[in-house]
Amino acid sequence: MLKLTIDNQPVAVPAGTKVIAAAEKLGIMIPRFCYHPALGSVGACRVCAVSVLKGPRTGIQMSCMLDVEDGMVVATGDPAAVAFRRQVIEWLMANHPHDCPVCDEGGHCLLQDLTVSGGHGRRRFPGKKRTHRDQQLGPLIQHEMNRCIQCYRCVRFYREFAGYPDLGVTGIAARVYFGRFREGTLESPFAGNLIDICPTGVFTDKPSRYKGRRWDFQRSPSICIHCSLGCHTTVSARYREIVRIEARFSPTVNGHFICDRGRYGFAYANAPERPRQGRIDGETQPVSTALDAALERLTTVSRTHGPDAVACIGSARSSLETLGALKRLCERRSWRGPFLWPDAQTARAVQTAAACLAPELRLSMKELEDADFILVVGADPVNEAPMLALALRQAQRQGATIAVCDPRPVALPFAFEHLALAPPFLADAIRIFARAAAGPPQAGVRASGGDAHPPDPNMPPAVQARLAAMGATARTCRRPVIVCGTQIVNSRTVARAADTARMLKSADKPAGLFFVLPGANAFAAALLSDENGAFNTLQAGIADGHVKAVLAVESDLPAAGEGLAPALKSLDLLVVCDYLNTAAARAADILVPTRSVFEEGGIFINQTGCAQRAAPVHVGGTPVAQTGGGDHPPRTFERSIPGAEALSAVQALDRLAGTETADPPAALADLHPVLAPFASRKWPDEGQLLDLSSEAAPSADWPPEEPPAAGKTFELVVRERTFGSEALSQRADCLRPLEKAPRILVHSDDAARLGIAAGDRVALTCAGGVIEGTADVRNTVAAGVVIVDRHRELNWPAAGAGWVRIEAKQIHKIEKERER
Amino acid sequence: MLPKTRKKALQKEIAAAEHARELVVDVLMALQAHYGHVTDEAVFEAADLLGMTPMEIEEVATFYTFIYRRPVGKYVIHVCDSVICWMESERPLLEVLCEKLGIAPGETTADGLFTLLPVCCIGYCDRAPAMLINRKAYGPLTENKIDRILTGLRQEG
Repeated sequence: MLKLTIDNQPVAVPAGTKVIAAAEKLGIMIPRFCYHPALGSVGACRVCAVSVLKGPRTGIQMSCMLDVEDGMVVATGDPAAVAFRRQVIEWLMANHPHDCPVCDEGGHCLLQDLTVSGGHGRRRFPGKKRTHRDQQLGPLIQHEMNRCIQCYRCVRFYREFAGYPDLGVTGIAARVYFGRFREGTLESPFAGNLIDICPTGVFTDKPSRYKGRRWDFQRSPSICIHCSLGCHTTVSARYREIVRIEARFSPTVNGHFICDRGRYGFAYANAPERPRQGRIDGETQPVSTALDAALERLTTVSRTHGPDAVACIGSARSSLETLGALKRLCERRSWRGPFLWPDAQTARAVQTAAACLAPELRLSMKELEDADFILVVGADPVNEAPMLALALRQAQRQGATIAVCDPRPVALPFAFEHLALAPPFLADAIRIFARAAAGPPQAGVRASGGDAHPPDPNMPPAVQARLAAMGATARTCRRPVIVCGTQIVNSRTVARAADTARMLKSADKPAGLFFVLPGANAFAAALLSDENGAFNTLQAGIADGHVKAVLAVESDLPAAGEGLAPALKSLDLLVVCDYLNTAAARAADILVPTRSVFEEGGIFINQTGCAQRAAPVHVGGTPVAQTGGGDHPPRTFERSIPGAEALSAVQALDRLAGTETADPPAALADLHPVLAPFASRKWPDEGQLLDLSSEAAPSADWPPEEPPAAGKTFELVVRERTFGSEALSQRADCLRPLEKAPRILVHSDDAARLGIAAGDRVALTCAGGVIEGTADVRNTVAAGVVIVDRHRELNWPAAGAGWVRIEAKQIHKIEKERER
Repeated sequence: MLPKTRKKALQKEIAAAEHARELVVDVLMALQAHYGHVTDEAVFEAADLLGMTPMEIEEVATFYTFIYRRPVGKYVIHVCDSVICWMESERPLLEVLCEKLGIAPGETTADGLFTLLPVCCIGYCDRAPAMLINRKAYGPLTENKIDRILTGLRQEG
């Protein structure tokens, strides 16, 4: 540690720290434009000048370029430094337009703040300002190049940090221009961060343009619920409408950034079609009446056919409080459920993941960046958990080797090795890797997986050799990490991933395990349900007539694409509590609207087992823009807020249970031992890491996988996409143009054998119906695999799970009718 | 499209380089020699040859003074717009040339003969005030000398 003095205050920092960062530790914010903690220093803007009074070189120095030295004395308020900074700001302002009143950045603009605080209040420059032509950069980002002060933060983030090539800097001197080669939508799913990172108004938020200044908004810290990572966000609301979401700094989860799905996926909360009133048999009713009717009818079914005839469905997008209330309701009324999973395979995979995530193995996204070898198995980061791709890239930039075993054509913004393997081979792939990573057998160290089952003879020897080579690499690495998905793999693969991580760990390394789960609260759902809690199980119960009534709480499970799952049509009663206008909500006999996370807040447990709380942002109600129909809102005087009748799901479920939960978080403590910390009122900002027990999963004893019959059977895999798949964000209009056309993908060899060409219409006959779509042929898809995009235009729920086996004869080419 | 022989020669040169992108300027100059300036088509060709993105090529192409991303006249005048030449000339050279050619900096005369580009020091301070026309240095210059040079070139062109 080096000791130095900044503004008469002593501070000790490690060698290599820049003076600007050391000052930040003291709470002194030295002005900066180009410097950013995540991007480092470039010394481009000259506004962080300080006076060095004692040190190797005294006088004015750029604090972002200056390494601290022992005994250094720095003054940030020295008159020479202040004058220097004022002049820098004045010359940056020479070309900056005076358009703050019409600029969306105004009010939270770093340039504006520093211009005012730097003491440059009057324009002296009489000349012409340089001007640029702006580019159309897509539906999310507004470009306004005239405001640029050439700090280079945007390209440094976009190209260096995030790894996308389509934004760059052209020209020289006064012609320096930040943009694309040609106008067009920015390709990166992290492009929205340009808005946060630009210190002025070159990149501003397009959907919320002209909607208000920062001080107009109700702002609250929140948690993103569009995937399982649980990134930290700040939500802004105005006039009963969510206006904007920004990244909120988190040292362990997302750092300074979030993805565009999380930033723009909120439109569901403002949607005009969002249920705001109760409905009974198609007639609008007060929420309270609908709830009474629901209780009465559910009780009737329960009395007539027994409590087993009522089933409760939930989903991983609900808060922990809601899931807890649903579980308590099931227990209290002896109703079936809660059913929280689409299928038993996913349920088991996630439950296995939650059970295997030992505290000593789990690592945060920040710690993942420190890994030097990462094996990704059955996960497609950009599509399933976009910010994970950014974390992996940081590891890769620091020299990590990254390999991905996945049947899908995984694309990542950095160099990595992709082994396209069908799902049945993934568990074996891990075993081959693990055996090589363990090295020659040593006394006292148990080789993971054992040799009970020889590697699959169907796996190509070249792939086996690559896996062994990767294992050998991992053996020499300081911090190897296994990243494992749960959407398209079975619990055996998950358990083996955990075993391997444990084995690497026991070899005296800070090895780690990082899961990707399906849904923001999948971890919580895994704690509160068992493997019977899958929708498939319930469908069987409905089909054989045992289940007569279903209560669906914030769940998409009853929906099959655009319609209701066929099994539910034979029900006597369907009660839906939701804040989305789902297919189930439209078909419900009784509909009870609930509040969204922005109105109610809630606890969400991310995939590392960290429980994080989202604060409520506003009270809700129909947005003023809608009550007024675009005009002035109605001039009627009421005490209530229009459209704010909805109860929280917890309140609604409590009414159905006939109980009252005074403190929903505290009530959770009884549901599962790891939720015990909720009994106390303390809540750390960074979330509560749950004290997980490390139940070792007996993966070595799994029976061998039924081998695929090459050419006769295919593995059908449902692929999540960054945009258009996830239940909430797919309702955002501004994200629609970014959705990729949904396809049914096959490997080119398989396509030749099946007689399918790219662009052909293909039908897959599955247990749950027919999936029809346009085929695409790729070499990056694993052989023997058919991939279906999870998109509303495809009937993907017919597959029945994230991965199922189908016969070749279930794949048909639809003969093209000539359209003329 | 670049002639096949030229393209092959470039590909050979690129293959011999340790990193293909080292040759980006050479490739752009070759393309410029062929097209007259670096056209959009040339940007894509360069990207293709070097395994870079068009954006990366554009970044280089717009940075250098002697790579032209827009059509230029037959004679490109790079006039020194730096301090020694200011000191040595009666009237700024740029101003004189603008007047004589009837165009603003960056423009090309209507007959397509001359393009006028100010440049920050061409390294001929010993012959200040100086300019370059199609890479040939002229200086020290006077208004009369400029008249003679331009007339000569007009007759040639």
